[in-house]
Amino acid sequence: PDSGPETTKKERPPMHQYIRKLLYDDLCKSNTEKILRQMRKMHWEDPLVASYIVKCLTAIWNAKFYNIRCIANLVAGLISHHDWVGPAVVDGILEDIRIGLEVNHPKFNQRRVAAVKYLGELYNYRVIESSIIFKVLYLFISFGVVFDPSSYSEYDPPEHLFRLRLVCTLLETCGQFFSSGSSKRRLDCYLCYFQHYYQYKRSLSIWSEEQEFPWQIEHLVRDTIAAVRPKLQMYNNLEEAQKAVTHLNNQIVAKAIEQVPSLRQFLQPD
Amino acid sequence: ARGKREKNSPQTKVVARRLPPTMTEEEFLEAVSPLAEYDYFSFVPADKSLGAHAFSRAYINFKNTDDVFTFRDRFDSYVFVDKKGNEYPAMVEYAPFQKIPKRAGNKKKDIR
Repeated sequence: PDSGPETTKKERPPMHQYIRKLLYDDLCKSNTEKILRQMRKMHWEDPLVASYIVKCLTAIWNAKFYNIRCIANLVAGLISHHDWVGPAVVDGILEDIRIGLEVNHPKFNQRRVAAVKYLGELYNYRVIESSIIFKVLYLFISFGVVFDPSSYSEYDPPEHLFRLRLVCTLLETCGQFFSSGSSKRRLDCYLCYFQHYYQYKRSLSIWSEEQEFPWQIEHLVRDTIAAVRPKLQMYNNLEEAQKAVTHLNNQIVAKAIEQVPSLRQFLQPD
Repeated sequence: ARGKREKNSPQTKVVARRLPPTMTEEEFLEAVSPLAEYDYFSFVPADKSLGAHAFSRAYINFKNTDDVFTFRDRFDSYVFVDKKGNEYPAMVEYAPFQKIPKRAGNKKKDIR
């Protein structure tokens, strides 16, 4: 890298430097309790200090990747004393994930992976519920996605495979906990739609003998699915995935009509 | 099971996104005034590290679901203009995270 943002040295007030040092330099697995006590001693009654702390807790890409989990743990601890910190941090991260999809610039890729990892860890520390994780998982395979090779989406161009990486990051982080009850069923459904998205991506004509679909991505998807559903037989091609999605959609429609018969006129006209 | 409570109640927390990056909380409140009854409001200034993609945003939790739609109809795609004349069409949506603090506006002091 030639001139990173470090070249323009920012002079920060000592309190800001201290907060950043605690969160981004000092915090690690073994001292989380101690750092939490330090953080609680901050002048939370000062709105400028409080908002700066929330800003730092949201800007997770400043932390080391393997420490993201510790910051999620810290947030969970802070919520028992300042419950508004939870929504503030979660809203901020969800916005960052969303704007990342809208901007879709490679210079934010690292940042986007960190944000997604953080969201998964916030679920693991029970700051958010699984419904939020699924909302984001579906966002990745639907926002600006057009399942039509003849049309072009600037949000998700044909050669763009980063969404697959984001899905895998989130599933790697918290997917192992979707193993029972309704969250198990929801992940099973999701994996059907996710495989369809993956097979659609693979089927696009930009991939050829000369430029093959990257094996790294293929392995990443296979390994991620195997980790959350070891026995799952993956679909081999787009046709199989498409069939499975149609079947699942029909099941969902039938179930909805069974529960609310008046839906029939909207879901199964004629 | 987690998530039961949230699932059954209608969504009332709204986010107004893509607001001018230089906008302040006061300016926003003035622009959307009069605002229907709400029990949570949070204005988040733009994150400068996003460069040209930095925008301010605001979260509002309305007390009545009807007001959610009124606000959406009024301000979704509404063009906010900053002091330099730049135009920012806002997006109004349900906030993906519907939770608000239990004691909004009445922060308990942490006995540290």
